[in-house]
Amino acid sequence: MTTHDITSIGLLHRQLFKAMQLEHATAPPYISALYSIHPGDNADAAQILRAVAVEEMLHLTIAANVMNAVGGTVDFTVAGFVPSYPTVLPDGEHDFEVGLGPFGKDALETYLKIERPAMAPRGQARHVQIKGGARHFISHPHDQTLRYYSIGEFYAAIRDGIVYLESEAKAKGKTIFTGDRAKQATAEYYYSGGGRLWPVFDVDSACRAIDLVIEQGEGELKQIFGAEGEIAHYYRFDQLQKGRYYQIGDQPGQPTGREIHVNWEAVWPIAVNLKLNKIPEKSELHAAVADFNKAYREFLAFLTRAFNGEPKLLLEAVPRMFEFRNRMQQLIRNPLPGGDCNAAPTYEI
Amino acid sequence: MSEPAQYDVVIVGAGIAGALVAKRLTTAGLKVLVLEAGPDTTRSIADYTSHLETFYAASAKGAESPWPPAEAAPQPDGGDLFKDKSLPANSGYFIQNGPHLYGSTYTRTLGGSTLHWLGVSLRMLPEDFEMGSRFGLARDWPIRYDMLSPYYEQAEHEMGVSADVVDQRYLGLRFSESYDYPMHRVPPSYSDRVLGAAVNGMRVMVGEDSVSVQVRSYPAARNSIPRGSYQPVGALDVDADGNARRSFLGERCEGNTACTPICPVQAKYNANKSLAQADRRHLTLRAQAVASDILIDKSGHAVSGIRYKRYDDPGSIQHTEEIATGRIYILAAHAVENARLMLVSGLQSQSKKVGCGLMDHPALYVWGLAPFNVGSFRGPQSSSGIEDFRAGRFRTRHAAFRFDIGNDGWHATTGAPDATVNDAVLKQKLVGQRLRSHLEDQLPRQVRFSLAVEQLPNLKNRVTVDPSNRDKLGNPRPVIDYEIDDYTFKGMIAARKVALAVFRQAGITDCSSNAVELPFPVAEYEGEKFYYHGMGHCAGTHAMGDNAETSVVDEYQRSWEHPNLYLIGSGSFTTMGTSNPTLTLAALALRTADHIIARMRKHNPGIEPGPRRRKETQRVNPG
Repeated sequence: MTTHDITSIGLLHRQLFKAMQLEHATAPPYISALYSIHPGDNADAAQILRAVAVEEMLHLTIAANVMNAVGGTVDFTVAGFVPSYPTVLPDGEHDFEVGLGPFGKDALETYLKIERPAMAPRGQARHVQIKGGARHFISHPHDQTLRYYSIGEFYAAIRDGIVYLESEAKAKGKTIFTGDRAKQATAEYYYSGGGRLWPVFDVDSACRAIDLVIEQGEGELKQIFGAEGEIAHYYRFDQLQKGRYYQIGDQPGQPTGREIHVNWEAVWPIAVNLKLNKIPEKSELHAAVADFNKAYREFLAFLTRAFNGEPKLLLEAVPRMFEFRNRMQQLIRNPLPGGDCNAAPTYEI
Repeated sequence: MSEPAQYDVVIVGAGIAGALVAKRLTTAGLKVLVLEAGPDTTRSIADYTSHLETFYAASAKGAESPWPPAEAAPQPDGGDLFKDKSLPANSGYFIQNGPHLYGSTYTRTLGGSTLHWLGVSLRMLPEDFEMGSRFGLARDWPIRYDMLSPYYEQAEHEMGVSADVVDQRYLGLRFSESYDYPMHRVPPSYSDRVLGAAVNGMRVMVGEDSVSVQVRSYPAARNSIPRGSYQPVGALDVDADGNARRSFLGERCEGNTACTPICPVQAKYNANKSLAQADRRHLTLRAQAVASDILIDKSGHAVSGIRYKRYDDPGSIQHTEEIATGRIYILAAHAVENARLMLVSGLQSQSKKVGCGLMDHPALYVWGLAPFNVGSFRGPQSSSGIEDFRAGRFRTRHAAFRFDIGNDGWHATTGAPDATVNDAVLKQKLVGQRLRSHLEDQLPRQVRFSLAVEQLPNLKNRVTVDPSNRDKLGNPRPVIDYEIDDYTFKGMIAARKVALAVFRQAGITDCSSNAVELPFPVAEYEGEKFYYHGMGHCAGTHAMGDNAETSVVDEYQRSWEHPNLYLIGSGSFTTMGTSNPTLTLAALALRTADHIIARMRKHNPGIEPGPRRRKETQRVNPG
């Protein structure tokens, strides 16, 4: 008899909310780094960061679809949805910090940690004691002292919970898939969903969706390319560190594809984990950063509407994201007074 | 027979025609070699980005500015047209004898001219195939609209064309039941909608006919919202070994207003997307390989090989000579290059018509200032047109025409927005807030129509070669004789009259009629000057027909004289109509591919039949 972490629909909703938080939380760091790269320079690095960021947004969409399918509420405007950076993510037994900052060698190390595939070693518990009171996205549904060993384990527990709760419900002639189908965001509304976004309305479609997130993000350490021939996030970044692309047939750590040249200097020196209160009040820069945060807050509210029955709004979200790009590119060209760093969005929502 | 052929099929040219045929033939299991004259620098994001940078850095942003040619494979350039003050104009790649300058260009790089095209994917009208029987002009095509219609559907799916079929049923255009395009139409721009509201339904007299005008969304090979399970193909990211990565870029048009000369995100179709879908097990791609001679066997008919010059460095003409052999040969090198290659190989054809009948859509610009802000410089370069003058009884007397409605202000005509700034600062001496207000007032009101006018095949308009005039690699350059005739001039006059009537109806102030010294070729007709530009719609140089006396190829684009040789592309067009030629040449190429597969199957039943359309809604295999 297996024990299940997720034993009620309420706990499932709670974990799916954490999943959305988690998927969203990686976007600002990746996007800050992406736009810190001088336009036109480092095309390979920019392309890899962009690809990963787009997939993280796909994962957010998938998590929201599952949440809607099981009758939960998608709300990105809840206080604390956006973490205060730096935030903490797990890497097996240990935690590490993820923050906002420029693209660079240290940042790349962090990305590799974020994306390092890790399922708990065989025989070892899938849970780890939380140290030092850190707040975790992937904490246990009801034991606040525990977190999952890895993001992969966290999602695996959600999948187990869905299967378990649905079989329980079915035994009573019911289902947990009570959500409104009109709330599902499908490929026609999602910019880059190509074939990987489907409506979630039963165990099969939900499990396939979660498996996709696990495979793209957390994949198996031994497997560079997924079933669709798509390269896992960890190996996307590993290519930058190794200075070479992987191709089919390569061994982990030994890419043999085209060489990648990274120009580590062609990056705007944006401040790390900048806070609004570090910028002189009443300066234009202060206003611009505050404006960005306000616009981002409004954007999250807009996305929330999209996931609450107006999926067409996702189409309008795209031009709004271009607006963020423009705002961000203005900010990161402006030096902060008295330092060697440039401004950046702070994502204080 | 001497040695067995290396390949089933040898294709010269990796533009859209060659790529579509290569995809279809390799999918059927045929072993295909593609020779491409230009370099393979357009398939990875990193390489493509360097073309973007070349474009950003170019002072003149012409159609070829992102795509500079290799030393060994030169190409015509818009800038060539003004280097020589008198004819023959000899300083570019073309040698132009006139009397009018041929204004069109093309790209000799992997992917061909689809790298720089606008993406307009109109079908030809049914009556465009029947100019002889309907209007007593030129000749009918050997095929009819309904014969090509299934291939139009396939081409629209191969290329990823965005349109709503309900907008496209006009002037006899018909579609199979329940058919719709693979993606919804690209949303019309704000200026399209404002203009439509002002002029839709107005009537204009052309000859004895009163024609109702409508601003209409045109089918565009730019990614939009997919229908059903269709998956838009975004930017390619293929390495030198042919491995593709998913790019997460360009799966929707972003409205960068830069389709021509380079879509920054590849939301616009280019031929490399089709080539990437070929079956790699059966495809050999050889870039930097310039075909120089078609070899004929002892019988004097069958092609026995293609001699080509292979260079290692795009900056050098150092090369080695090799010969490719196949059972079938396909020239897909572009209307001008196909003819040039035939002629340098001494293959004049029985009809002596190789190279003859060169056409284009010589086009006029008409531009003006809207009475209020219409949001110019937003959206794709254009998203709508006026199509109502593509057909009509007037075609017995003058050319048909269509309008493209720009979303890019006066960019194409005066060089705005830069030119608007220059004019304000240097001529009007505006500075500071006044300058800013002036620009904010002027730029979003700029409206531009491009009036593309039909041209008939005239045998005197032609491509020839002169052995004493060679490019750096030693290949004879194309010599162009070109004259715009009365039929087209009269069409230009009618088109301009309609455009100005539309302007008046919409309250747009015409700024083009009095413009002088424009940077375009100029022609005079009945005392009036016409500044015209090429549309890049080169066609007619190996026209198809129903017999060897009057044409170069048959309805399958197969040479009448050389049973294992096909000449494909817009060079096969019998007449031009008014639609941009790419979709039609793509449909013809697919029809030819099916024909070749059927022909090869007769000898080798193991070859798979051509794929069916519904299965072809694939995307680039990322692996």
